[in-house]
Amino acid sequence: MKTLKQIWAVLLLLVLWAGFVPAHAALAIIVHPNNNLSGITADEAADIYLAKAGVFTNGKRAIPVDQAANSPMRKKFYSAVIKKDDSTLKVYWSKLLFTGKANPPREIGDDAAVKNWVASNPDAIGYVDGKFVDSSVKVLLIIP
Amino acid sequence: MRKKILGFLCFSLVWQALPAGAAGGLEGVSVSGFMTVGATYGDKQLLSNTEAVSQDGTIENTPGFTADSRLGLQISAKVNEDISITGQLLAKAREENSNVEADWAFINYRASEQVSVRAGKIKFPTFLISDYYEVGYAYPWIRPPQEVYSSNPITTLNGVDVLGRFRFGDLSLLVQPYFGVSRGAQALVPQEAATAFPICFNGTTGTFGACQAGTVVYTDFTADALRGINVSLSSDIFTVRAGSLETKVNAPGFGVFQDTAKFSSAGLSMDWHNVVLYSEYFKREISGAANVAFPNQKGSYATLGYRIGKWLPHFTTARIKDNNNPTTPPPGFPIAGTPLDQKSNTLGLRYEAGSGAALKFEVQKVTPKEGTRGLLIARPDMAPKDPGDDVMIYGISLDVVF
Repeated sequence: MKTLKQIWAVLLLLVLWAGFVPAHAALAIIVHPNNNLSGITADEAADIYLAKAGVFTNGKRAIPVDQAANSPMRKKFYSAVIKKDDSTLKVYWSKLLFTGKANPPREIGDDAAVKNWVASNPDAIGYVDGKFVDSSVKVLLIIP
Repeated sequence: MRKKILGFLCFSLVWQALPAGAAGGLEGVSVSGFMTVGATYGDKQLLSNTEAVSQDGTIENTPGFTADSRLGLQISAKVNEDISITGQLLAKAREENSNVEADWAFINYRASEQVSVRAGKIKFPTFLISDYYEVGYAYPWIRPPQEVYSSNPITTLNGVDVLGRFRFGDLSLLVQPYFGVSRGAQALVPQEAATAFPICFNGTTGTFGACQAGTVVYTDFTADALRGINVSLSSDIFTVRAGSLETKVNAPGFGVFQDTAKFSSAGLSMDWHNVVLYSEYFKREISGAANVAFPNQKGSYATLGYRIGKWLPHFTTARIKDNNNPTTPPPGFPIAGTPLDQKSNTLGLRYEAGSGAALKFEVQKVTPKEGTRGLLIARPDMAPKDPGDDVMIYGISLDVVF
């Protein structure tokens, strides 16, 4: 009887797990755990990543970091959150960068590198594959 | 000399920063750049003693690479949370031996979320794209319309500017006042002035005399108390801007001392559902003796394009004309105002050649007003061979950013 209960419990957990983490990788927008924001909208995140906003909605400085150019999470983030194609973005940044108005987000590397960076920088905001999230960072938005 | 030292210093900085930056090891330092390689050809020889077609001689009646080719290298470093430094070196093929100049070199202080103050050498925004004029990748044409962009020979200042950036929902407002001086800039001497003033050295006689028609001469040009403001409102779809600037100009070779030059301009750009639109208008007013060699001007252009996948075909019509020229030269001046009156139509095509690269093609028909040379080196209706009303200029370029 005990084993049956255990099997049910495991099954229930599996269903819950599957519900939270879909088969394709979910994207988590993360900040430092000391950041007092409880959430962020995709538009607010896009403003920070496009240097239109230099601060979070709570007024604290926001420093965005990117994953490396060809990472799947970066592609997902730019199509789901920034919603601009590569050449539009390149032109956008050329105008800001070469007139000294703003620099594009710094490239940090892969999911693990971005998570570690965000975990150790109170102003940072980043995005990682949901399965890399742990207690060292705080999740503000999940994009399934 | 100072420029060379500055250039060397910046290069040393870049050199030291490059390996570390490339490895991602140097925090807060970023290196980036842009490059354009372009070829042009003007279809008509305008004078018998030169192949120059454009008034600055860079577009010739032979395929040439000097008009548009250039390389820019930028390095920026964070000093602390609020202070950063940026340097941008520019090497232009049109300058002898591709001399390197610092086009930008400034310290940026972020005073608040809205306001930054920059001090040093700054490319100031006379027009919509003046401050990224060298970054071909950032706009559709090979050369921004010269009917507007040739009118201010001074593009950088040593001084300060303030970037006030304010947000209203989806709209961003930029208020950018600037103040400074310009030293050592060179202004192209109009053909009429070059052939009238004794500014060309004659090796046989050892004296200065008037230049031969077709000689491209630059004069040292300084600007004091250069002050202006640039205001722009933009969204994801459009940018609307207006600006004005005023300065006191000095050109020793022409008896020009502390004459006032004023620019007023307005423009807009739009990128909406694959429709690309640019349009600008400007007015230049120059007082005193300077007005003779550097007359008042009005210019405008409109560009319409439609993006089809990676292709952006576009059409531009542009016009520049003099206004209020003195019809009789002041005492002591051998010439009356110089007529720079032309219109041009340009068909262009931009192709996105992979990430950060654009290939461009252009065909331009330049038509000076009857009896004038416009922005060409001489009147096409007086050309030694096949005289006619217009000149065709063909161009191809590759622009990259990295």
